[in-house]
Amino acid sequence: MNQLKRFYSWIDERVQLSDLVNYMAKKYVPVHRHSIWYYFGGLSLFLFTIQVVTGILLLFYYKSSADLAFESIQFIMSKVQFGWLIRSIHSWSANLFILSIFIHMFSVYFEKAYRKPREATWLTGMIMFFLSLGFGFSGYLLPWNELAFFATKVGSDIAGAVPVIGEPIKIFMRGGEDVNGATLSRLFGFHVALFPGIFTIFLTLHLLLVQRQGISEPMHFEHVEKEEKKRMPFFPNFFLRDLLFWLLVLNLLAILAVFFPSELGKKADPFASAPAGIKPEWYFLFMFQSLKYLPANILFIEGEVFGVLLFGFAGVLWLLVPFWDRKSSRGQQNVLINYLGLFAVIFIIVLTILGWVL
Amino acid sequence: MKNILIFLLFFYLTANFGFSQNKSSEDQCFSCHDMLGGKPAELFKNDIHHLKGISCAGCHGGDSTSDDMDAAMNTRKGYTGVPKGDAISEKCVSCHSNPEKMKHYGSALPTNQYENIKSSVHWVNAIDGKEHIVQCITCHNAHGIVPVKNPQSPVYPINVPKTCSKCHSNEVFMRSYNPSLPVDQLQKYKTSMHGVLNSKGDSHVAECSSCHGSHDIKEVKDINSKVYPLNIPRTCSKCHSDSEYMKNYKIPTDQYQKFALSVHGKALLEKKDINAPACNSCHGNHGAVPPGVESISKVCGSCHALNAELFSNSPHKKAFDENNYPECETCHGNHEILTPTITMLGVDKTAICSKCHEENKNKKGYLVASQMKELLVRLETEEKKAGVLVDDAEQKGMEISEAKFKLRDVRQARLESRTMIHSFDLEKFKEIVDGKGLTTAKLVNEEAKAAIDDYYFRRYGLMASILVISIFAFSIFLLVKKIEKKSKNNS
Repeated sequence: MNQLKRFYSWIDERVQLSDLVNYMAKKYVPVHRHSIWYYFGGLSLFLFTIQVVTGILLLFYYKSSADLAFESIQFIMSKVQFGWLIRSIHSWSANLFILSIFIHMFSVYFEKAYRKPREATWLTGMIMFFLSLGFGFSGYLLPWNELAFFATKVGSDIAGAVPVIGEPIKIFMRGGEDVNGATLSRLFGFHVALFPGIFTIFLTLHLLLVQRQGISEPMHFEHVEKEEKKRMPFFPNFFLRDLLFWLLVLNLLAILAVFFPSELGKKADPFASAPAGIKPEWYFLFMFQSLKYLPANILFIEGEVFGVLLFGFAGVLWLLVPFWDRKSSRGQQNVLINYLGLFAVIFIIVLTILGWVL
Repeated sequence: MKNILIFLLFFYLTANFGFSQNKSSEDQCFSCHDMLGGKPAELFKNDIHHLKGISCAGCHGGDSTSDDMDAAMNTRKGYTGVPKGDAISEKCVSCHSNPEKMKHYGSALPTNQYENIKSSVHWVNAIDGKEHIVQCITCHNAHGIVPVKNPQSPVYPINVPKTCSKCHSNEVFMRSYNPSLPVDQLQKYKTSMHGVLNSKGDSHVAECSSCHGSHDIKEVKDINSKVYPLNIPRTCSKCHSDSEYMKNYKIPTDQYQKFALSVHGKALLEKKDINAPACNSCHGNHGAVPPGVESISKVCGSCHALNAELFSNSPHKKAFDENNYPECETCHGNHEILTPTITMLGVDKTAICSKCHEENKNKKGYLVASQMKELLVRLETEEKKAGVLVDDAEQKGMEISEAKFKLRDVRQARLESRTMIHSFDLEKFKEIVDGKGLTTAKLVNEEAKAAIDDYYFRRYGLMASILVISIFAFSIFLLVKKIEKKSKNNS
């Protein structure tokens, strides 16, 4: 213990670490019956860090060409020491990361934590959410296996259904008319350079805003006296709890990676016919399944186009919620927001289950 | 001059006859033409139609009861003269496709010839759009038509090859329809056992129509053709499996049964692999004969080229030739060739080698056979072991595709070694079994074992890491409790 203290003092003498510790100790986290949802912000950050670390390790061996991608993953899985573990953790942590940001986003939504003055925090978070979906979509193709190839084809076709801008977007995503080696290079570039770069900027902004504005308090705290508000210091109390949660998730990740390692399947063959039951990753499944239920034509437009436009519209509405939910910003209860959120959660869960089962 | 006198006499007689008796129940056409002489009338005398009372008018139209030439050959009475092109067959069909009419003449002949010929290659392959390749008379003749069973008929079994060859041996004619079709069928047929017996007057033996059909002849590539590869064994067996039909030829009739059980038969008849050999692949088709002792290896070697070459360069070649043993057949049989198994090799009682090689007789071969068997057994055992390990590793979810791929090399080496047996050279055999097969099998075994070990290592590693992480997590939990308790006490 003494050794540890001496080491801390050695660092402190040089970089004045105690200033930072004191600063963090003065930051408080509200304690109430919904406090548990605060941990998902930190968990998302932790999983993102794992993504970055394992992603960099995979980069040492991955080759982003249609001829070599599949084989390089095969090499990682069979020849590289702990390559299987790195890839499986990368894949599982990606899924848990998206699940975690879904939970984080909905908890912020239901707590109305986006209300004034945290509109920009919400916006940066939402942009990171969309970027995370982009990470998922672009990373899915990288193993260049049959499932990934056709899922990318279907996914980019859906994007292409958007009127006017759809086709150029599709061609931009694919790097040409069809999904081929150019698409792989392009999505690899997005996955390892463009998206991480943009994500880091928004993550920095997001964290700065959280630091500057503090952690949002629930709406009923506004009517509670300052002395009566329960809270805990961010450091070390909340930080250690956060760490505990991360360790539990790390255990879960290890179990998933060992018992359900990422499969590789068959190498993509652009000339083969699509295998039956092609499905996107689970986080796109609710949209994919919804489009399947739409009739061929709705009013005067194609059903699929209608669906894509509807999801686009809903996404914009969701993104801009701090600006149209004025009631919450005024500290008033907005039941409509709760109902809309509840509908969105039920819709996503039901459609995802249907997409999974059917 | 003589002819003119005969004509005048004929004209006088017929004119007077016509004057006195204008109508008659006799076939006046035939009466006149018979009197005039000439080939058609001569041939028609023995024509089945004439014998059945069908007059010339039956095919040529007109009034055969009138002795007045102008009246008899009047177009208003349906006289058509000599029919041309498809009109010829149409005349035949007008009766031969009409069961009522055929019954009227007491005929038991089928009435579906026209239907059959319409789907035949001779009808379908018309080139000028005006008429088809053959008409009924092409094969049956025109005026001298006799029943098929009559040796005079061009379609009597003995005459069929000659009849067909009129066109099929004519390069210029055949070129118009099928330039790639050989025109030497008759020549080959004459050299075949069928052809030899046919030329000796045996009407039982196969001729063209026995295999190709008669009216319904299809192209060989047509799946409905009797000589389409998949149908050949059945076509040949129609005669060759009929012990009653074959009793005079003193040859076995179980070839089809045996062939159906063979590796070739299963490939052809069950898997429908048209590249698998049918009867004609070994016996020839038009020149079908049983392959002689000296040519068996050439016949088998046309597909199994490497085996045949290795055998030809082996010490067995000389020994087999000297003892007059049929090469491949001695070990593999003929019609009932089964997938070779390891039991064929070696020196135990079931092994074929032991028929000639014993411990004290042909000793060198005995030793080679015994060592080859030992090596092959080892390779098979190692391959199976490797396969089981690879399956196990795969079922455990391990990435084992490279070892799986190498396992194919082991199988390939085993197959190669089976071919190399035909060299009867132990060193060459060892090179494949030891050098390729066993070495690769060892590698696969090692890789699969490593994958399985890795599988357990992962689980033990997981347990250890969970333990470490959990201890760390629990320590943090205790620390949090301690801090919170402390701050509670302070407050």
